[in-house]
Amino acid sequence: MLSRHFGGVRAVDGLDLEVREGQIFGLIGPNGSGKSTTVNVITGLLPPTAGAIVFRGRDIGALPTHLRLREGIARTFQNIRLFGQLSVWQNLWVAQNSAEDRARQGFLPRWLGGQGRVREDIGRLLEFSGLAHKQDELAANLAFGEQRRLELARALAARPKLLLLDEPAAGMNSEEIGQLRERILKLRSGGVTILLVEHVMELVMGVTDRIAVLNFGQKIAEGTPAAIRADPAVRKAYLGGEAA
Amino acid sequence: MDFYFGLAQLIGVHTLLGLSAYIVLLTGQVSLAQAGFFAVGAYVAGMLTVLAGWHIVPALGVSAMSGAAVACAVGFPALRVKGLMLVIATLAFGEGVRLFFFNFDYQIAKGEIQVGPLGGEGFRQIRFFPENGWETWEVMYFIWAIVIAAMALLWWFDRSRYGTVLRAVGEDELAAQSVGINLTAVKVSAMTVGGAIAGVGGGLYAHYTTHIEHLSFNILLATFAIAYPIVGGLRSVFGTLLAVIFVQGFLVEGLRFLGDWRNLLFGALIVLAMNLRPEGILGGRRRA
Amino acid sequence: MLDFFQAVSDGVLFGATYALIGIGFTLVFGVMHKINMAYAAASVGGAYAGLLVLQVMAGAPPWVVFSCAFLAGGLLGWMVYVTCFHFIPLSSPLAPLMSTVGMLLLIDEVIVHLTAGMPQAYPALFDDVMLSMGEFTLRGDLMLVFGVSVLAMIALLLLLYRTRLGLATRAVAQQPVAAQLCGIRLARVNVLTFVVTGLLGGLAGALVGASVGTLSPLLTVPLTIKGLIVTVIGGLGSIPGAIVAGLLVGGFENVLQLYRGVTERDLYVMLLLFAFLIFRPAGLFAPRGGH
Repeated sequence: MLSRHFGGVRAVDGLDLEVREGQIFGLIGPNGSGKSTTVNVITGLLPPTAGAIVFRGRDIGALPTHLRLREGIARTFQNIRLFGQLSVWQNLWVAQNSAEDRARQGFLPRWLGGQGRVREDIGRLLEFSGLAHKQDELAANLAFGEQRRLELARALAARPKLLLLDEPAAGMNSEEIGQLRERILKLRSGGVTILLVEHVMELVMGVTDRIAVLNFGQKIAEGTPAAIRADPAVRKAYLGGEAA
Repeated sequence: MDFYFGLAQLIGVHTLLGLSAYIVLLTGQVSLAQAGFFAVGAYVAGMLTVLAGWHIVPALGVSAMSGAAVACAVGFPALRVKGLMLVIATLAFGEGVRLFFFNFDYQIAKGEIQVGPLGGEGFRQIRFFPENGWETWEVMYFIWAIVIAAMALLWWFDRSRYGTVLRAVGEDELAAQSVGINLTAVKVSAMTVGGAIAGVGGGLYAHYTTHIEHLSFNILLATFAIAYPIVGGLRSVFGTLLAVIFVQGFLVEGLRFLGDWRNLLFGALIVLAMNLRPEGILGGRRRA
Repeated sequence: MLDFFQAVSDGVLFGATYALIGIGFTLVFGVMHKINMAYAAASVGGAYAGLLVLQVMAGAPPWVVFSCAFLAGGLLGWMVYVTCFHFIPLSSPLAPLMSTVGMLLLIDEVIVHLTAGMPQAYPALFDDVMLSMGEFTLRGDLMLVFGVSVLAMIALLLLLYRTRLGLATRAVAQQPVAAQLCGIRLARVNVLTFVVTGLLGGLAGALVGASVGTLSPLLTVPLTIKGLIVTVIGGLGSIPGAIVAGLLVGGFENVLQLYRGVTERDLYVMLLLFAFLIFRPAGLFAPRGGH
């Protein structure tokens, strides 16, 4: 029963969510329904006003954000937050903070060594996102679509077990959405659990196993994509807006 | 010729000061405290060589450590304070250090005279170099050997993951946290390294000028410290070096005929530079 | 014990000047989200300019000197605006700040050169008046300083809350973009903020000179620091905060001076700042609005 209040505003109000390992779980709702706030609370950028966050059997509520990353929770940002003045390669390099990567090298070699040892891993990430040819380009100089892919790759650099995607499809056309869908499915088959916060129904309906719907901070429905599509309460919340 | 050696010594010491501000600035922290760490290093080194008879090299080592220790202590509360407030807090800290030394007396008798820091009068007779037969050019080389070592260290950091992480934090703290970077460790470590470098710089400063006092470590010096990396740009350590050469060389050499008005010109120079090139002379933090 | 209360009382009365300086810093921050590091220097500069009157009219009454300082402060405020905030893009993070630091150094040096570094005597009013209640005294000059400061604060608050300019200023402080969309000219508000705080600062500088009896360029840095400390303790952007903090710092400082002497006193004020930064970084009062 997670809650996050900002003064008198209940951005998230008594939300109960359970995401199973290996699922692709969708979180949808009209603007202002509390989706991004939920992501921020889960990752630790905002403390909850009430409620607990349990990850793989462990209460992580007291952990600061960077330690939650080491537990295996990574996220992308709705309005891309890349390190613009660093290159593509460097953006991925600084993000390799998973427990595995930390264990792989000693403290000094990891921090003060050069780029050689991690070439392989980062190379793989670059291949996956189709950015290998731009590895030395400054992130700020990338095209919008490329920045999106880098944002995702950077989250993956942390070898997450749970990946929170915050509106990754905004502004994409159908073809791009299709490619994103493929990438998400590939990730899942690689063992990553995904929580997809999204507005673009084409993506949500086509890729998720289960969806929860928020309105004014509260969960108004939960079920399979088909069930959600048919739910009258959901229709009402969206005022018949999105194409389902 | 001696004059140019002296100028080179000054540039060397100021470069260390600038480098100490550089590494902290990479993490996005604008610190006016570097002159304070510099002062600590100066007094510590001076007291060790004059009052305890130490050799300059271990004395500088302790200077570095004390600068680092004080900087580390400052680094933690600095985390709680953002942006402009940090500027104020570090400025106040620097002034606090200066006031501390203004009130600090510790003298012992050496032969017939009293030596050691004496409050407002300062700390005179820091004569390790002359007493041990060091020529001016030898002192200059010694200073520059240390400067080059410091630049090499920071240049190495810049190429390593540590330097890249520093810049990531300076760019976007929220994103840095979210990719698993420990902000506290990064910001405090940068401050500590900066403190160590400033400490060594201060120790060298004390010995080549042979006389230090609280007024030497005032707001003007704190401003110089942060101005160097801002004017030089954060692209690389060489920017800071160029800025020191430009500012000190220009001010000292080029305007020598203006005599006393030099400091006034420094102020005007900053105002002019910021109006003409707000992003700094070598440009922004762009680096491939 | 009586000494303690005496120290507090004198300190609080003098603290009104710190409050004025703090208000100047905090108002500029509230409206423009920038710190004008040259503010205290401009205030002292204004006070010095007031002395120019005495060059022209040898026996001029103190209030003329004060008025001149008041106006000179406004002029200096305008000059700082033009050199540091008019041309430099405000989005640039460090440039305006560094520029004001440059102005601080510049004004300081100009003062030193024009006065050959010698402290100048400053006229005082009512310095021979003492209100005594047993062993407890209220110095007339300090009371004047306090009284004038209070009047200035009231005038400022009236300006902010009863005039259109004040309304525009508060609007800009809270929502600069929306204010512009409503037709408020941002540049005009910014300039006037600097001029008004400059006037206030010139007055504060004169009052400091009047209560201390002399004016010296060595005043600028400590006054800058104390002004900033007051601003931070009071809460960046909060005028009531600056007022309370100014009085608090004034009293605190004087008490410390009583027990620990002049040279150590400032160190303790610094510690007070650090205590606040660690335990209450937002200051005493929350900022007035906006960011």
